Amino acid sequence: MLFHTWPFALFFIIIYPAYLALKNTKLRLPWLLAASYFFYACFNPLYLILISYSTLLDYTVVMKMAKSARRKMWLSISIANNLGLLGFFKYGGFVTDNLNLLLSSLGIPYVLPAPGILLPIGISFYIFQSMSYTIDYYRGNIERETSLIRYATFVSLFPRLLAGPIERAKNLLPQLHKTPRVSIQDIVDGLSLFVVGFFKKVALADYMALYVDKVYDAPEQFQAPALVLATFLFSWQIYFDFSGYTDMARGVARMMGFRLMLNFNNPYLATGLGDFWSRWHISLSSWFKDYVYIPLGGNRKGKFNTYKNMFLTMVISGLWHGAAWTFVTWGALHGLGRFCTRELERTSFYKERIPKVAKQLLVFVFVSFAWIFFRAATISDAWVIVTRIFSSGLANPYCPLLALALTFAVWLYQFAYESRFKWVLELRPVRVGIVLLLVFYLAVFAPASEKAFIYLQF
Amino acid sequence: MQKKGIVDAGRSMLDARRNRKSRIEEVPFSSNCVRLSGYEWIFVGIVASALFCFGPTLWERLEKFEPAPDYRIPYELSSDYWLYSRYCRWATSKYETLVIGDSVIWGHYVPQHNTLSHYLNEIAGRNQFANLGVDGIHPVALAGLLRYYGRDISAKNIILHFNPLWMSSPKHDLQIKKEHHFNHPKLVPQFIPNIPCYKALYSKRISTVIERYVPFLNWASHLNITYFQSMDTPMWTLEHPYKNPLEAVTFQLPTSDNYDKSRRTSRSGRGTARDTTQWVELQISLQWSFFQQSVELLKARGNNVFVLVGPFNEHMLKNESIGTYRKMKSKIEVWLQQNNIAYYMPQTLPSEWYVDASHPLSKGYAMLAKQLFENESFRSSILAPSLKLWSVGDSSGCNLASSDAKKAGDISLDF
Repeated sequence: MLFHTWPFALFFIIIYPAYLALKNTKLRLPWLLAASYFFYACFNPLYLILISYSTLLDYTVVMKMAKSARRKMWLSISIANNLGLLGFFKYGGFVTDNLNLLLSSLGIPYVLPAPGILLPIGISFYIFQSMSYTIDYYRGNIERETSLIRYATFVSLFPRLLAGPIERAKNLLPQLHKTPRVSIQDIVDGLSLFVVGFFKKVALADYMALYVDKVYDAPEQFQAPALVLATFLFSWQIYFDFSGYTDMARGVARMMGFRLMLNFNNPYLATGLGDFWSRWHISLSSWFKDYVYIPLGGNRKGKFNTYKNMFLTMVISGLWHGAAWTFVTWGALHGLGRFCTRELERTSFYKERIPKVAKQLLVFVFVSFAWIFFRAATISDAWVIVTRIFSSGLANPYCPLLALALTFAVWLYQFAYESRFKWVLELRPVRVGIVLLLVFYLAVFAPASEKAFIYLQF
Repeated sequence: MQKKGIVDAGRSMLDARRNRKSRIEEVPFSSNCVRLSGYEWIFVGIVASALFCFGPTLWERLEKFEPAPDYRIPYELSSDYWLYSRYCRWATSKYETLVIGDSVIWGHYVPQHNTLSHYLNEIAGRNQFANLGVDGIHPVALAGLLRYYGRDISAKNIILHFNPLWMSSPKHDLQIKKEHHFNHPKLVPQFIPNIPCYKALYSKRISTVIERYVPFLNWASHLNITYFQSMDTPMWTLEHPYKNPLEAVTFQLPTSDNYDKSRRTSRSGRGTARDTTQWVELQISLQWSFFQQSVELLKARGNNVFVLVGPFNEHMLKNESIGTYRKMKSKIEVWLQQNNIAYYMPQTLPSEWYVDASHPLSKGYAMLAKQLFENESFRSSILAPSLKLWSVGDSSGCNLASSDAKKAGDISLDF
């Protein structure tokens, strides 16, 4: 039941009026929890066992922490349990494959059986959210949540359950405490967010995917122009896909009176890699900053340790995305990139002499290069793509001009949004005209897409 | 002291609330300016509703649809149900009798001027019969087509064809449990009754159901089927990367008459052996059940329904299969009689006039048309209003212009 499909529309049409009717009663949270669990069970009812277990354990751990002097032990239990769940469901296959490779390279004739476990959708997101609650409580940043139903709703709230944003307890739990005020403006704001997200996903991301999949599924059959264009288009595809999901999630939540955090802030207008990570998947970047980078020491112990911590954080972030060396390489590339550019970005030459557009272009090219490793099926595929980009011919890429034109239009819009011409975009005829165009394009030209979101696999 | 404490507590509560509120307010709305007010959304809603409601109607004015005699929905537009609906509306206003059925009526192996409706018109001497057949549609889908896209067919004479082929095996009857891909899945019931071999995802089924009731969505798929080679626009641009999709929308409906030219010889001419057919029992047949529904639906809409059963190519059947088939035919006959439905069950045509189990060659269609005109039930139920204009067997009234029809007339009929 994905946001851009009819089953979700039906689901929402049914649960929303009831939610509005119950929002001032005690049944609000049970209804919200039931709707969220139903939403999740539609993918696989067995997932409910896992989310209930994780919820119950963290709720109990914090309860014990509140009553016990051995707070650190309880925190360790929570972290070990959460990472254990992630490790088992997400990295079981990866670890087994690599151990088998090691055993075979050592000449040991033993093969570990593959675990064959299906990765539950959204596990990385709700586990991180739940972990942030226990860590924040341990640090004394938040109060203990006394209601299990409220806490379970916080972990499983359906708009953000599948792929975030990874909300912090200090932002979302207070919203669950009070009776939500759903004004007309909330509803229309939610609608605005949803329509933009829907357009990003159905009209743009899924369109780009057609060309990207064709090229990346058989990279050896394509030459440099096609590989470069497919890589650039993938950069936009993953942005449209994930930020489209987030916009829809935020839109749905807003209609229900919840304000989820902004997760993407025009990342391809970033003028440095640090800037990029403050605009891309903000909820995850800030999570890693707060719970990995800073505990590792952050920038407090000299330059070497700062870069080491930064690099480690990026590698772990890569591994969070998926259990494969391609993701680790992607994270490491960003770590290296950050290492190389951090000092450069601080120089007055870079700050003052390099034109903004050139900086944006540099960041985009680097980020796109790193995406090659993220998107390729294997490291060797990624290597084939990189080598062919620099060594193959210049055959016609046969890339749809319409896809390029749409991407350029979006880039131009974002560029104007962050320029002194923003006021033009704020004019009523422009805003209304854009929405009409989006609706018309979606209704007439967009395919009836049921393609899953890229980030659901993480 | 106590009062001061209460005031402080109240103040701190207010501060906490204010802080919480301001923290929530701090969440940025978005990274773009697409944020409309309620009134602006109302305006968008009105414009979008106007587009949804009047767009397809307006389109009909721009895209001319004036079918020539013997028109049939082109093969490549078979899944364009919006066009079918438009054709129904047009045919209902121009023709007295609509001939409805699957590829046998459509004329899978013959050009459009060799179909049953053509020969019927030829004998009638005027354009009285419209070919509303759809290539490859089985009775379960046909029932859906008539229910959702044939709403304009009312108060007309209908010749509804029943093709026994669809009951010649559990697979043809869509009864097997293993997934089986068949034509026109969007027209079959998506939930109830369950079609055992139809395994589409629930999300797809729901969108199919919604599409049936929203003409705009059908119109959008009409655009894709007609102008973008049955692909959606993005997929089409992948095939034609440097073409402007808007230029592909020419407002000209295809007039091609593609049909299967691979088999021009008869089945007997190809020397195919006789088969044993696993006929599905009438009582449990999905196809029969949906055929009955189609009859009832058409009657409920005030149509005068005449059923044409077969003629199935019995020459390809082994003796035991022929026996089962004839028993089934008699049961069908009983049901038609019980329900007071006019019908005709022609004897099987000469073997050399069939391409396969159910599709006649041109001569077969000509012969069938002639047999129909000689059938009393057909004359009284379908031709009665215009019988005065001509009489069958009278060479002055029966226009057998084509050589095929003339040859068919020379053959002694075995009733």
